[in-house]
Amino acid sequence: MVSKESCRSELRTAIHQLNDRCLHSASRWAAEQLVGIEQDPAKFTPSHTRFQRGSSSIRRRFGPSDLPSTPVGGALYVATPVHEEDDSADSDFYLLAKAYFDCKEYRRAAHVLRDQTGKNAFFLRCYALYLAGEKRKEEESIELEGPLGKCDAVNRELTSLENELSKQLKNETIDPFGLYLYGIVLKERGREDLARTVLVESVNSYPWNWSAWSELQSLCSTIDILNGLGLKNHWMKDFFLGSAYQELRMHNESLSKYEYLQGIFRFSNHIQAQIAKAQYSLREFEEVEVIFEELLRNDPYRVEDMDMYSNVLYAKEVFPALSYLAHRVFMTDKYRPESCCIIGNYYSLKGQHEKSVMYFRRALKLNKNYLSAWTLMGHEYVEMKNTPAAVDAYRRAVDINSCDYRAWYGLGQAYEMMCMPYYALYYFRKSVYLQPNDSRLWIAMAQCYETEQLHMLEDAIKCYKRAANCNDREAIALPRLAKLHSELGRLEEAAYYYKKDLERMEAEEREGPNILEALMFLATYCRSQKKFEEAEVYCTRLLDYKGPEKEKAKSLLRGMRTSQSGLTSTETEHFPP
Amino acid sequence: MMRQEAMVEKLRGAVRDCMSKHLYSSAIFFADKVAAFTSDPADIYMQAQALFLGRHYRRAFHLLNASHIVLRDLRFRYLAAKCLEELKEWDQCLLMLGEAKVDEHGNVLDSKDCNAIYMDKDGEDCEINILSAICFLRGKAYEALENRSQAHQWYKAAVKADPLCYEALECLIDNHMLTYEEEKNLLSSLRFAPEDGWLSSFYSCFIKKYDKENVVEAKFRELEMGHRELNTSRSSMTCTLKNNTDLLACKAEYYHQSGEYQKCFDLTSELLERDPFHLKCTLVHLAAAMELGHSNELYLMACNLVKDYPQKALSWFAIGCYYYCIKKYDQSRRFFSKATSLDGTFLHAWIGHGNAFAAQEEGDQAMSSFRTAARLFPGCHLPTLYIGMEYMRTHSFKLAEQFFMQAKTICPSDPLVYNELGVVAYHMKEYKRAVWWFEKTLTFVPSSLSEMWEPTLVNLAHALRKLSCWFPGSIKRLYHIMRKLLLCQPEV
Repeated sequence: MVSKESCRSELRTAIHQLNDRCLHSASRWAAEQLVGIEQDPAKFTPSHTRFQRGSSSIRRRFGPSDLPSTPVGGALYVATPVHEEDDSADSDFYLLAKAYFDCKEYRRAAHVLRDQTGKNAFFLRCYALYLAGEKRKEEESIELEGPLGKCDAVNRELTSLENELSKQLKNETIDPFGLYLYGIVLKERGREDLARTVLVESVNSYPWNWSAWSELQSLCSTIDILNGLGLKNHWMKDFFLGSAYQELRMHNESLSKYEYLQGIFRFSNHIQAQIAKAQYSLREFEEVEVIFEELLRNDPYRVEDMDMYSNVLYAKEVFPALSYLAHRVFMTDKYRPESCCIIGNYYSLKGQHEKSVMYFRRALKLNKNYLSAWTLMGHEYVEMKNTPAAVDAYRRAVDINSCDYRAWYGLGQAYEMMCMPYYALYYFRKSVYLQPNDSRLWIAMAQCYETEQLHMLEDAIKCYKRAANCNDREAIALPRLAKLHSELGRLEEAAYYYKKDLERMEAEEREGPNILEALMFLATYCRSQKKFEEAEVYCTRLLDYKGPEKEKAKSLLRGMRTSQSGLTSTETEHFPP
Repeated sequence: MMRQEAMVEKLRGAVRDCMSKHLYSSAIFFADKVAAFTSDPADIYMQAQALFLGRHYRRAFHLLNASHIVLRDLRFRYLAAKCLEELKEWDQCLLMLGEAKVDEHGNVLDSKDCNAIYMDKDGEDCEINILSAICFLRGKAYEALENRSQAHQWYKAAVKADPLCYEALECLIDNHMLTYEEEKNLLSSLRFAPEDGWLSSFYSCFIKKYDKENVVEAKFRELEMGHRELNTSRSSMTCTLKNNTDLLACKAEYYHQSGEYQKCFDLTSELLERDPFHLKCTLVHLAAAMELGHSNELYLMACNLVKDYPQKALSWFAIGCYYYCIKKYDQSRRFFSKATSLDGTFLHAWIGHGNAFAAQEEGDQAMSSFRTAARLFPGCHLPTLYIGMEYMRTHSFKLAEQFFMQAKTICPSDPLVYNELGVVAYHMKEYKRAVWWFEKTLTFVPSSLSEMWEPTLVNLAHALRKLSCWFPGSIKRLYHIMRKLLLCQPEV
């Protein structure tokens, strides 16, 4: 394991370098991790470290003057020294350009740097141009299209940037930051293979740029690609793998990575949030709730990832906490996509679906590629019985990420509502392929097979069996299985499933109409099998309930007694019914 | 014979242990056997104690009553009365405790119990005087019988008989039975044991805090410093109450009273994180959150409280506060009155109820709930003060003044009362008197002038302005006030 001290000094240097290049979100990420490193308990009291978590003013005294220029070499896996400061960073033009950049005047910044030759200046100019293009693209897409319509606006700077950057690459004068930018450009041009190699090269030579890692992660759609990347070892790689595993739905692997990282970054909010995400995917809602409660206590104005917390609260229907969260993010920053999503959830739980849709729409206006907002909006439209709009929303979601099983499931549901079971089946199959351990999906599919139009009961049985095998919390699969079998005349199987269902209900102490059905069936079945004792047990249990079943059970009992009376007439006389 | 003795002794030990482990049925079983073996009064007492703890009140009472010693031994009588208390037979309970008289200062007049025997102690190192417990129980019985004056006299008697009887003091203070003066007098009349000096200072923090800022702060500091004289003898043990939640809750209460809501809120938030179910602290937290307009905080608190304590008036009071905070007064009134119906002695809900009416300018209803509060809590000047304010709004200045004066006698050190008196005088065109009242207000303001007291300064300035027609000398004072006002709000 790397030492905490070396991580700390590496990050400190990296933050300054990232800041110099205006890579703001990467530097924010690095700073968060820096503060997340556990302090040496020998030097600081626990209360101090606890206090450390909330405040942002930590360690200001490390100005640039006492920066360690290289990290402690022995602890590093990669022998990359932290880069020395580029000389052009000091040039006056660069300072001006950076100021423009920080004020979001990208073209002006690029213009100032037009004749500068330093590596930093080159990078900043390209980056500014890229962002200028992005900004224009956003504006165009708003001008051209409504929120639901797709838009073919492109970043017009991409071609020239690609030419310039590839020239630099050929001359071998490109630095890791340039490579990162090149990677983004290539990714947007659709040349994913090349983008991957370029990004790998970037992170191998400068691993502290989290933005590069996340771009790379978005390009790893299968485990084979991930394994074939050829990354050098560095602790940043563990962060990357954690998030990549999560995207590839290898949640347990990802969890173990993060738990390992917590050894160093004990107080990192990022890691906590990621663990929560993994637990959320594993549907461990209790855990997620606990993690988020703590996260909010330490970082009360956090908006990031809080949409997931709101999903959990929504699923658990904890209305007070959801309302509190919604009001809180509303006061913190109303116009963040996450905030809008949380408020959307809040209105949805209140049953005000129109308002909820309005907020999801707002979230999407703020970030068109906000996956979960598309899916949730689809759910809202389903609630409002507006299937065409729902289908549209779900389609946008799967366009953004074809691995979102919720969207596929939603599509299936929508088509089922429109009585198009074949379409529905297709989409359910997609979602089941992505999330094979979710009983709800299997049940949905089975119900689809059961519909009048299809009536493919055998297939339905297969699906229910799968559902029953993967922890069917709502306990729908077993009774359906039993019922289907009994309808198909396979009484033995039906009895088997009814028995199993009964056992489960006893174990979970549930009551319901199912129990009557199961008991009734088992009683008649056992009698027909001449297992009178067992049948009697079921009948006596039925006597505890009201309704026609009770009468039926009585008559069954009477019937059995009379048929048995030949054998044990003396006993029945002593105990008249 | 010796062996039997040893066996009985062992059984007694078993009974005591069962009681401390809350195995009451076993305790009752063994205590019954011991009592049968020995028929010693002490063993019968133990059996009754076990029955009481096992919630067999009627049986315990019967047992005590059947033994002939009951009227002679105070402990027996007290336990029998405790049983009657649990059975809610208050008259019987008082009868059992015996006739006694108490004067208004809580001194027991003629106690026939003096010659009653008092058997061996319970074997505790420090024992609360049984007379104090008896007085407290009398107080509770009188309170249940709605005889408030008797109740509060007996509570006083309980604290006087033994200052360690905290419950009695808590009842007195939480239910605002005493005025500030009376509280102070009571405290000064208590006789603390020499090693209980800290308790004396703790109680002094616990009572109403209308003193000057430095006096109150000194009281807190004294407790926070810990007790040096104790430390010197046992230097390894540093005993300080610096981080004690009760003490800090008192401090928060003080902050709230002196208008430093943010400070109060921060303190209570921290305390509630440490001890989320500290009720007094919760109350102060709610009040501070309401003053600061943190409606979201109130909402969450209220939801959690109602979930955890649906039977407590405080929970419903919290909901009322939330609705009051978001200005839905109808709803807020509903919940305040729910709180009062759950616990009629919950002052804050009564006041909230009145204020919710007052916020919608429904003076008559507001006054009726203030009047109830004033009747129930003779030691609290706020209801009287609010009644006065309502009268003032309807321009009944004479009546208003009367009520303000009444509030002043209850609590002569709350600056708010003087401010209102000044306002009344101003309205009655008695500017000189108004100035006098306002100046008096400023002398009672506890801390440095904060924006909370800006209206008083403005009032004073207006009064001086009116006055300056006749008394040119007041112009100078007016300038002085104006300068102070500017300091108070630099951005104006």
